[in-house]
Amino acid sequence: MLPLKIALRFLRTSPVQSALIATGIAVGIATQVFVGSLITSLQASLVEQTIGSTPHVIVRAPDEAEPLKVTAAMLSVVQTDPRVEPGAVVPVRVTNALLTDGEDSATLALKGGDLGGLDAIYRLRERTVAGTVRLGKGDVVIGTTLAEKFSLAPGDSVALTLPDGSRRTLRVTAVVDLGAEAANERQAFVDADLPRSVLGWRSGEFAAIEAQILDPFDSTAVATDWRSRLRGVRVVEWQEQNADLLTALQSQASSSYMIQAFVLIAVALGIASTLAISAVQKTRQIGILKAMGMSDAQASRIFLWQAAALGLAGTAGGVALGYALLWGFSFAPVQFSIRPEPSFIALSASIGVAVSMASSIIPARRTSRVDPIEVIQGG
Amino acid sequence: MGDARSAPDGVLVEAEALTRVYGEGETATVAVDGATFSVAEGEFLALIGQSGSGKSTLLNMLGLLDTPTRGTLRYRGQDVSGMDKLKRALLRNELIGFVFQFHHLLPEFTVLENVLMPALIAGSHAADVRERALETLELLGLSGLEGKNANQLSGGQKQRVAIARALLNRPAIVLADEPTGNLDTANTEAVYDLFRTINRELGTAFLIVTHDRTVAQRTDRIIEIRDGRIVGDVKNEFGRPARD
Ligand SMILES: Nc1ncnc2c1ncn2[C@@H]1O[C@H](COP(=O)(O)OP(=O)(O)OP(=O)(O)O)[C@@H](O)[C@H]1O
Ligand SMILES: [Mg+2]
Repeated sequence: MLPLKIALRFLRTSPVQSALIATGIAVGIATQVFVGSLITSLQASLVEQTIGSTPHVIVRAPDEAEPLKVTAAMLSVVQTDPRVEPGAVVPVRVTNALLTDGEDSATLALKGGDLGGLDAIYRLRERTVAGTVRLGKGDVVIGTTLAEKFSLAPGDSVALTLPDGSRRTLRVTAVVDLGAEAANERQAFVDADLPRSVLGWRSGEFAAIEAQILDPFDSTAVATDWRSRLRGVRVVEWQEQNADLLTALQSQASSSYMIQAFVLIAVALGIASTLAISAVQKTRQIGILKAMGMSDAQASRIFLWQAAALGLAGTAGGVALGYALLWGFSFAPVQFSIRPEPSFIALSASIGVAVSMASSIIPARRTSRVDPIEVIQGG
Repeated sequence: MGDARSAPDGVLVEAEALTRVYGEGETATVAVDGATFSVAEGEFLALIGQSGSGKSTLLNMLGLLDTPTRGTLRYRGQDVSGMDKLKRALLRNELIGFVFQFHHLLPEFTVLENVLMPALIAGSHAADVRERALETLELLGLSGLEGKNANQLSGGQKQRVAIARALLNRPAIVLADEPTGNLDTANTEAVYDLFRTINRELGTAFLIVTHDRTVAQRTDRIIEIRDGRIVGDVKNEFGRPARD
């Protein structure tokens, strides 16, 4: 324990130097924590925005205009796949509708389906901003942007013109926030029968089967699998449709790793140079301790402990500072919230301490080479 | 072959044809050339010689800080000339106390902590050796200064703290290289009186390097070195102070 005691004393007797280097480490780790959490949360939010209001996998008819004839066998392939979220499978029918209110008008995409399945995929109940989600005959659930634009609230009626020329008046039962601006403006949910009658389809004829899977990143494998098991259908999945986004996310992640790596290198160089200076400053003391019988290994440990103490103090400060930055950022007007991930922060902290320890190797080596005779003969 | 740690009878240090050469070939300097002598337990002797004669070089070898180029060195019968660095460090800590021309106290530590350092290096707990450290400080007339920072003392006090530190592990021998080189006459006198007292009370052997003949005259034996060779080794009957 003597090397530790000496290390702490050396640090305490040059407080400015110690504080500077600990601050350097703290700033590095704080940057690490902040940038890392920001990028991770931003990516999670982008993925969430992309697939939060989109089914992960969709089974369609090969020809867009034709209906998909949904059979029990087909449904069973989808529903019994263990990768599929239980209950999150729904055959849907889709039609456009024109909403007019005096001067203003908007085109809506009406999605008709069973409420249970739609809720499992689009989490309508969870995302309800006003009203209670119901999809009986004549009911409609709309997005927040549309509701704002036309000042609609649950209980209000909306007049729609449908592609077959018919006009229907539907009652708004709930307003939901689908997590993306475009969806909130255009997407609306109705019962499965309304689009059927507009399209003139039979029961058993649907636009698609939509499914949500437990791990969204399984979608490619699931789609490939279903393509081979289902005849005469087209299977699309979110990853191939969002290849650009995924590439962007990947390059964003790698640039974030680059930033983090450079920050760590800067921190390591900072500690290494400060400790090297400290080792030079303490050459006399090391020589004296060695003359009194301190071994090279013990003497080297002094600088290892200095590095560990600085690394721990700096990292603790850095994590605190990182949290403070994240807290400050929570007031920024952005579309997503940062969730600091404890495991990532623990990793950053241990990397911080490890880098500090590693950077003590040079001064520790130097210490081993100090010859007490040289120290003792000079003043 | 004896164990350097076990209790002695008679001979503490034996040097046989001890030689130290600096450099190689044309530029080689033979700093110590075939020094042969021995030091008894509890002996009080001086090593004299002109500047550059090889005193410090010899002392560093005796202090296990340096290894001889040739020859053998034994402590209590154990050959230490070829010992590795770590073993030498351990033995140094246990058997040898150093006092140098410069006090070499650690400025980051208090007087007491400086004195405790050799015991802490040996792995002792401060609490266990604190008592002995305070006794040693008292022996050197430094009572009451233990809490001060090493920088806050006078030159003479610093040198006495360094002596206390050298004595803490109760070494078999204190090697002192011009220990009073930086002190005035009064302090020089005081330091030699202390060396004598400790030599008598603790039975510690002293080997003191000095330029100063009058200092040497007060030791029991004088070894003289010239150009690295021992040219004189005489008992000094007048050195021993009158006994009471
Ligand atoms: N590290 C070294 N490298 C080369 N030569 C050295 C070294 N140390 C000492 N010498 C040489 O060895 C010889 C003896 O030096 P040493 O320091 O032992 O003398 P000294 O008797 O202690 O002198 P002083 O009274 O001035 O302290 C000198 O010629 C010196 O130049
Ligand atoms: Mg000398």
